[in-house]
Amino acid sequence: MKILLLIVVIMLFSACQTSTDQTSGNPFDQEWDTPFGVPPFNEIKDEHYMPAFKKGMEENLVEIDAIVNNPEAPTFANTLEELERAGKLLTKVQLVFYNLASSNTNPKLQELQRELSPMVSAHNDKISLNEGLFNRVETIWQARENLDLSNEQRKLLEDTRKFFVRSGALLNKEQKAQITEINSKISGLTTEFGQNLLAETNGFELILDEDDLDGLSEGIIAAAAETAAQKMENAETDEEKAKYKDKYVFTPHRTSMYPFLTQSNRRDLREQLYKSYVQRGDNDNETDNKEIAAKIAKLRAERAQLMGYETHAHFMLEERMLKTPAEVYDLLNQLWKPALERAKVEVADMQAVVDKEGHDFKIAAWDWWQYSEKVRKAKYDLDEAALKPYLSLDNVLNGVFETTTKLWGLSFTELFDINVYHPDARVWEVKDKDGSHLGIFIGDYFTRSNKRGGAWMSSFKGQSNLDGRERPVVVNVCNFPAPVGDAPSLLSFENVITLFHEFGHAMHGILTDVTYPSMAGTSGPRDFTEFPAQILEHWASEPEILKSFATHYQTGEVIPDELINKLLKASKFNQGFANTEYLAASLLDMDWHTIKAEEGVKDTDAFEEASLAKIGLINEIAPRYRSTYFAHIFAGGYAAGYYSYIYSAVLDSDGFEAFKEAGDVFDSELAAKLRTHVYEKGSTEEAMELYKNFRGRQPKIEALLKVRGLDGSTD
Amino acid sequence: MRLLKVFTFCIFLCPSFVVLAHPEDELVILDIEQGEINIQDQQMRAEYEAALKRLRMRLLAAMPWQEKFLLFIRAGIEHIVPKGLDHILFVLGLFFSSLILGSLLWQVTAFTFAHTITLAIAALGIAKVPGAIVEPLIALSIVWIAVENCVFKQTNKWRPFIVFGFGLLHGLGFAAVLTEYGLPKGNLVPSLLAFNIGVELGQLMVLLTAALLVWLIRNKSWYRQRVQIPASLMIALVGLFWFFERVL
Repeated sequence: MKILLLIVVIMLFSACQTSTDQTSGNPFDQEWDTPFGVPPFNEIKDEHYMPAFKKGMEENLVEIDAIVNNPEAPTFANTLEELERAGKLLTKVQLVFYNLASSNTNPKLQELQRELSPMVSAHNDKISLNEGLFNRVETIWQARENLDLSNEQRKLLEDTRKFFVRSGALLNKEQKAQITEINSKISGLTTEFGQNLLAETNGFELILDEDDLDGLSEGIIAAAAETAAQKMENAETDEEKAKYKDKYVFTPHRTSMYPFLTQSNRRDLREQLYKSYVQRGDNDNETDNKEIAAKIAKLRAERAQLMGYETHAHFMLEERMLKTPAEVYDLLNQLWKPALERAKVEVADMQAVVDKEGHDFKIAAWDWWQYSEKVRKAKYDLDEAALKPYLSLDNVLNGVFETTTKLWGLSFTELFDINVYHPDARVWEVKDKDGSHLGIFIGDYFTRSNKRGGAWMSSFKGQSNLDGRERPVVVNVCNFPAPVGDAPSLLSFENVITLFHEFGHAMHGILTDVTYPSMAGTSGPRDFTEFPAQILEHWASEPEILKSFATHYQTGEVIPDELINKLLKASKFNQGFANTEYLAASLLDMDWHTIKAEEGVKDTDAFEEASLAKIGLINEIAPRYRSTYFAHIFAGGYAAGYYSYIYSAVLDSDGFEAFKEAGDVFDSELAAKLRTHVYEKGSTEEAMELYKNFRGRQPKIEALLKVRGLDGSTD
Repeated sequence: MRLLKVFTFCIFLCPSFVVLAHPEDELVILDIEQGEINIQDQQMRAEYEAALKRLRMRLLAAMPWQEKFLLFIRAGIEHIVPKGLDHILFVLGLFFSSLILGSLLWQVTAFTFAHTITLAIAALGIAKVPGAIVEPLIALSIVWIAVENCVFKQTNKWRPFIVFGFGLLHGLGFAAVLTEYGLPKGNLVPSLLAFNIGVELGQLMVLLTAALLVWLIRNKSWYRQRVQIPASLMIALVGLFWFFERVL
């Protein structure tokens, strides 16, 4: 009779189990009948990506061939528009894959990423180096004056042609071979640069005893002990293990170094650690980056010259909002003096603290963190813990939604019946003021172990009006602390700014209204695309708006004025230092990339020294990145582009100033201009024109100086 | 050039320190300094569970009360069948004690009454008993009931009181799963009520199924020897196993 019982139990079980096993085809191969074209995340499995990528590439090449071999004479419609239509499947799978590989990865996706990278770049080469394709585009471009093209079509034609030309389409065979050779050399050197940097950063450790820890907080000590324990575990020999036993380890990783520099009372140790950081890649060993940097810069200059540009900076800036090195230098030099002046005041402030403490030394670079913190406590003390209860995630979201409602009449409805890739990812439908559908916004805010760090915006589906009205699916991913217990997720003010910033990008992706998909949303130049994001940050710190959303999550009390004042004042803290180190690095970047091919750089250290001496950088500050660890420009994509952060800041400060001048941060006329000329336009016009259409004039730097307290007004 | 733009797959990143909103900045360095993400399975699962609960809470907050009511009835049922195997066994333990409807009814009523009380007390946060104490005791209650079934041919008059006491324990168990599942901040009491109704329905399902299965053989002379006692013994064994599992 035991069987009887068993049967009962089994029956009860099976009655309530719903079978979910369905073996169907690859979801990327099918039309998605999901609401608003959100990818069917629950059907997409890891094994679907690779076949979809392969098929997507094949299909794409067939489409390209069809365009090239079209017997009809090239026209805008049969070439450029068809190019815009090509690659649908590949786009579909790429958007899902690269998004999830960043926000919700797993070992399988990581492996796929490594496998796909060379495949995708080989595929892209097949298109960008396709001569037949370029010839058709060129034919149309040559006849452009006689064609009846709209402004948007004209811009698409220019951009597309420029893309091919910049890939070397106008060069002869021999030159093309040279470019290919240079490219492969550069790519090898940049990889080496990154690897060396990693080795150098891992190569130094400050091993401390119990009595070297003066000044350090418990949390920092615990972390250093943990680092030591880990090193001990990874050590292979007993001798090595003994080195770390009961010790505390700090490294030149910034997460380890900054707290040490801020807290440690041991000036000698601060100096040691700081110097290890700034000497990375400059130690005359096998992982030295001096020669590599010089080689990369020279090769880039050679390539630019082959392509017909004066320097690499000229080549890079052609596609930016600031068009020439002269314009960039002009901008940076204008900002340099006020920043340096402010930094000198900050040094004096810190020296006063040193003197008052009865010490007998001059502030040096490795003292900056420690003494700026002392100044901060005395002058700007803001208790983050007191602020947080007013900044629950839901309140802040309401705040940012409300801001766009007041600006443009948008409305947001949270949708619960749409399946997304993780239960923490929330979905909203965004509607325009007339109630029409604008797009889908996905917010994935909490940190988790399979999400990369930082915060970003991306999309799962683009916008296009080419074949009917297609609206976008946009995502914001952040790393805010997940709620603990019954309390909601509470943000720091820094998090709030991040949320508004990313939401600004999202608005750029959602309000966009262009015909051709490649020109939609955030497709503009690098020094412009941050503008729509950064300008939204200004609303977050407007007292009027802060008060509308920052209410205490327990008591419902509105954030007190005193706290707001402290908060706003604190934003001007240490700006002399931050701007000076940043501008010095930006100028160094420009110097590296305005060298002539025939000159090159013989001695990296001397080159850098001369560059910094020219602008009069003070000894108490190093450039934010020295040449031998300037990964942005020698390992990343920021060559002659590091300036763009501050240029976007010039734009957003100047842009927001317009609302201040109007006396209403929700001025309807300005808001409408901002929407139609900036958020809707994508890259359908030159960025500078877009800005001028909104602002009525060229951008000026004064507003930024004021925002950052570099206008001499800060005490 | 849809494709050409895509391959420069740009994600727009953001500040990790206020001073200069340098998004990519931090990321480029992070990638170089830290390499790729090292995934910890266990941590990932725990994070996922927590996220699921947050999702449920958001869903609940957005639901009209009628839907919420139905949802909690369903949750109540599910936490008996199929998720509450120990409660199923306990109820079956009651079932195998007696075929006299009156006796069974008394026991079930006592059980229901008791667990309703403690479920409410614990779910409303009035009192709290750690699971480490409750869970093994629940296992023991199953053993007790089943052993009694084997020892006594008919239930004694104390049985409903004992069952009442055990019911108090099981209520605490329900409260624990309910808290884990998540109670909405609004409509707290109706949701609790609905969950309780669900639990009763689940219980009834178990009893009815058992009754249907033994309907034809209930009056056989060998019913006690071949069904009641072996079934109870098995229930006792499982309960005992759980007890040790939960203590160790």
